[in-house]
Amino acid sequence: MIVELGHFALVLAFALALVQSVLPLVGALREDRPLMAVAAPVSVGLFLLVGLSFLGLTAAYLTSDFSVLNVYANSHSAKPLIYKISGVWGNHEGSVLLWVLILVFFGALVGLFGSTIPAPLKAATLSVQAWVTTGFLAFLLFTSNPFERIPSPPLEGQGLNPILQDIGLAIHPPLLYVGYVGLSITFSFAVAALLLGRIDAAWARWVRPWTLLAWVFLTLGIAMGSYWAYYELGWGGWWFWDPVENASLMPWLVGTALLHSAIVMEKREGLKVWTILLAIFAFSLSLLGTFLVRSGVLTSVHAFATDPARGVFILGLLVLFIGGSLTLYAWRAPMLKQGGLFAPISREGALVLNNLFLSAAAAAVFIGTLYPLALDVVTGEKISVGAPFFNLTFGPLMVPLLLAVPFGPVLAWKRGDLLAACQRLYAAFGLAVVAILFCYWLWGGKAALAPLGVGLAVWLMVGAVAELITRVRLFDVGLKRGVARLVGLPGSAWGTAIAHFGVGMTVLGIVTASAFQDERILTMRPGETVELSGYDVTFDGVAPRRGPNFQEDVGLFTLRKDGAVVDRLEPSKRIYEASRMPTTEAGIHTAGFSQLYLSLGEARGDGGVDVRVYFKPLVTLIWIGCVVMSFGGLVSIFDRRLRVGAPTAARSRSKSRSALPAAAE
Amino acid sequence: MMFWISIAALTAAAALSVLMPLARTRQSLALSSDGGPAGAATGVPLDADVEVYRAQLDELERDLERGLINKADHASARTEIARRLLAAEEERTRRLQTPERSVGRSRRLATLAVIALVPLLSLGLYLTLGSPDLPDQPLLARLEAPVENQSVDQLVARVERHLSQNPQDGKGWDVVAPVYMRIGRPEDAARAYGNSIRLLGETEGRLTSQGEALTVANNGIISAAAQQAFEAAVRLDPQAIKPRFFLALALTQDGSRDAAVAAWTRLLDGADETAAWVPVARQHLADLTGTAPAPALPGPDAAQVDAASRMTTGDRTAMIEGMVAGLDERLRSEGGSAEEWQRLIRAQAVLGRADAAREAADLARTALVDNQEALAQINALVAELGL
Repeated sequence: MIVELGHFALVLAFALALVQSVLPLVGALREDRPLMAVAAPVSVGLFLLVGLSFLGLTAAYLTSDFSVLNVYANSHSAKPLIYKISGVWGNHEGSVLLWVLILVFFGALVGLFGSTIPAPLKAATLSVQAWVTTGFLAFLLFTSNPFERIPSPPLEGQGLNPILQDIGLAIHPPLLYVGYVGLSITFSFAVAALLLGRIDAAWARWVRPWTLLAWVFLTLGIAMGSYWAYYELGWGGWWFWDPVENASLMPWLVGTALLHSAIVMEKREGLKVWTILLAIFAFSLSLLGTFLVRSGVLTSVHAFATDPARGVFILGLLVLFIGGSLTLYAWRAPMLKQGGLFAPISREGALVLNNLFLSAAAAAVFIGTLYPLALDVVTGEKISVGAPFFNLTFGPLMVPLLLAVPFGPVLAWKRGDLLAACQRLYAAFGLAVVAILFCYWLWGGKAALAPLGVGLAVWLMVGAVAELITRVRLFDVGLKRGVARLVGLPGSAWGTAIAHFGVGMTVLGIVTASAFQDERILTMRPGETVELSGYDVTFDGVAPRRGPNFQEDVGLFTLRKDGAVVDRLEPSKRIYEASRMPTTEAGIHTAGFSQLYLSLGEARGDGGVDVRVYFKPLVTLIWIGCVVMSFGGLVSIFDRRLRVGAPTAARSRSKSRSALPAAAE
Repeated sequence: MMFWISIAALTAAAALSVLMPLARTRQSLALSSDGGPAGAATGVPLDADVEVYRAQLDELERDLERGLINKADHASARTEIARRLLAAEEERTRRLQTPERSVGRSRRLATLAVIALVPLLSLGLYLTLGSPDLPDQPLLARLEAPVENQSVDQLVARVERHLSQNPQDGKGWDVVAPVYMRIGRPEDAARAYGNSIRLLGETEGRLTSQGEALTVANNGIISAAAQQAFEAAVRLDPQAIKPRFFLALALTQDGSRDAAVAAWTRLLDGADETAAWVPVARQHLADLTGTAPAPALPGPDAAQVDAASRMTTGDRTAMIEGMVAGLDERLRSEGGSAEEWQRLIRAQAVLGRADAAREAADLARTALVDNQEALAQINALVAELGL
């Protein structure tokens, strides 16, 4: 009964979403209050129904109810509890259900907590959200129904893909989905504004926190996926420019741009039309990512044809939502009132620069990801666009952007004073130069560009700190008052500084881990020792071992520093019994922010084994930086003030030192 | 019943979530138009804008009081907000002057649509997509259901589950082995007997049954492994009839005529003439000593199966019949290999059910229609058995 009730709840949600798609929007357009009032309770109802449905499927997984086709195909009664739960979204149907659940969850959040949103905007937003929900519920019900039953069920299921039996991959999709789907709410806000032909002050207020929330989860999701690839794939790389990764990076880049342009809109009522376009693009790229991953075009463009119903359906949804919203944009955007003017050198100007570079970077990733697919479809020719392409396009776009980051927060709104801004950053600049010189002294000409990269990272980090210090004039007002002022700073100022500091950490991690990585790839026999970055790695031999559902060959290594044993590492190669699928598990020793990474290769007949040993200085900063960025985003979300960005009075430009811009931040 | 009540409740709740706001706000609207502040019902969006700006102004004052911003910044921010506030107020006044439209009809239409659409669409769609009569079937409940409600397959799965977790449970292997024989899985039966012998020790009965299972699995031909099992059984109990019967049969199959004759003679010496196996043994003996050295009964395998079934009394026959019925059922529902079909046809023929054997042959031809080689085998067998 639970399973069938879940199925019915899903169908009922579909019917209710249809109602929600029409009534509140009609109400908003006709200014009919009762019709608009439908939106909030129905958004909560939708969430409860889809939630019930999700619980029904989860219950079927927990009790190994193999009369549900989806459970039979993706679960096994002997699987550990955690993978029974993660199995719910470890397959196509379940993951789409999770997608829809998050979609209606965000709708319900707006319905419950959006009491300060003007009624027409709220109603139209929830209607648009319901369009997307209806589309995906139809996709679920008609092509990928998770509640399909087997009348006479088998007694055992077929098990979960062993690659997915990993704690990292168990929690990675929900994080990423909250990020992807969170962008849907900004999309709905944008389309609603276009439909109503009006951008309220409240519109501007609401877009930034929603984007931030989605962005925080997207950042965490991408970082988690990257760390998983690092320790599971055995190559020691943390980013592969793989299409699946790119599919999540594109919405992140545009979402980051959106985040910044939303600041301009919230505080200065500028860039409204552009922000709407970004909001549409951010969610469109999320949809594209879902399409790429879910339709199977990535494994092979021909996999798309093997299950045409699904691929064509989701492609149709894609065309409908992206094409529809862009058409609506082309039609309605010229009618929207543009916001305040600003000079090129100003906070707005800096944020526009940020937007330009981030959008260009997203475009580069877009081309690099989709061009090979398009070429394969059209000519059948297979090309692979790898790291070199992205290093040549994405890299050069990032450098000027990162150089400009510290300037943004110290420039004034409307018209800034570059000289005054530079004065506030001279300490950061000085420290960056010192860092560069220090690196040259330390490593010599080993990698010519790397010290500059370290300098860039220091510039970003110190720049973020300098912004806070100079804002409260810590050294002018004395330590005690200065600290008091620091504590009193608004959350958004802290959020900006923390997030920018996080960017610096990630850059530092990327530069040092790639430029100063020490690596040995060799065949080792038991008893042999290899010396690497001050560590002695001794290979003690290979031992077979049995796990619950796999067999593995474990390499036993002892790690010594100055003769003392610091760690024992056990990298392994696993074979999962059910699928005969091999996986590698790296052995990792963390010292400070750096890591020693050991991975097993092929075994040689004579007891020797191929071993890859890397020492990656400061590599963990890559992911710690992402976590810090997300934390900055969280701090900023909880700044619930009504924010207004006032330009500095023109007279203060003459007083160079005391020109403290962006006071009301 | 519970299910349909839940469905009705869910549907009603969903419809109410739409209808309640439609009904409620109509009342509150009527109230506010009596005595509420002007413009409360219209110009809502512009009110919200003005609200935002007013709140911003208040907050600015508070910031100044707490010393979070200095005088100059406060002044410029204030000017900025005031400018926006003014624009919003103007827009609001302009809006207030446009007359309100009548909207009553669309609401009634909406109400009607919701009352009709939500239950009809959801029920109709559910009845096409769903399986309302299928209950939940959690694995544990299926395995723990009362024994009489479970199919043999389910019971076997239950024991297998238990044995996969407790592979050292010899008693379990002992219990499941004959069941395997009955449901037509002689290979598994032989393995299970092997395990119970390993764990609980050799007995004449287990060794004989293991040999028998191996023989059935091998289409009635006694393999070396089966022969070893029977020999071990005879060592434990030199007077045991069944293993000696099979050993004699093995000699017959080998074509060792003299040794076979000696074995059958020893077996029949002093035998209880009423025992079911005696006529079969006499038949074999007669065949060996008579004109033709080859067996006269329809096929040697058939003879063995037949013999085995008559060896002991009624339950042995029942067991063979059960085995055949199990095989028949399985092949009909799931299909099977050419080998399995041949086993069924032969078994039916041996049990004297010519009709059933012919029917099995027909079914086999349909099932194996794509397999020329198998069809030829089936036809050959049918000819051999004279069906």
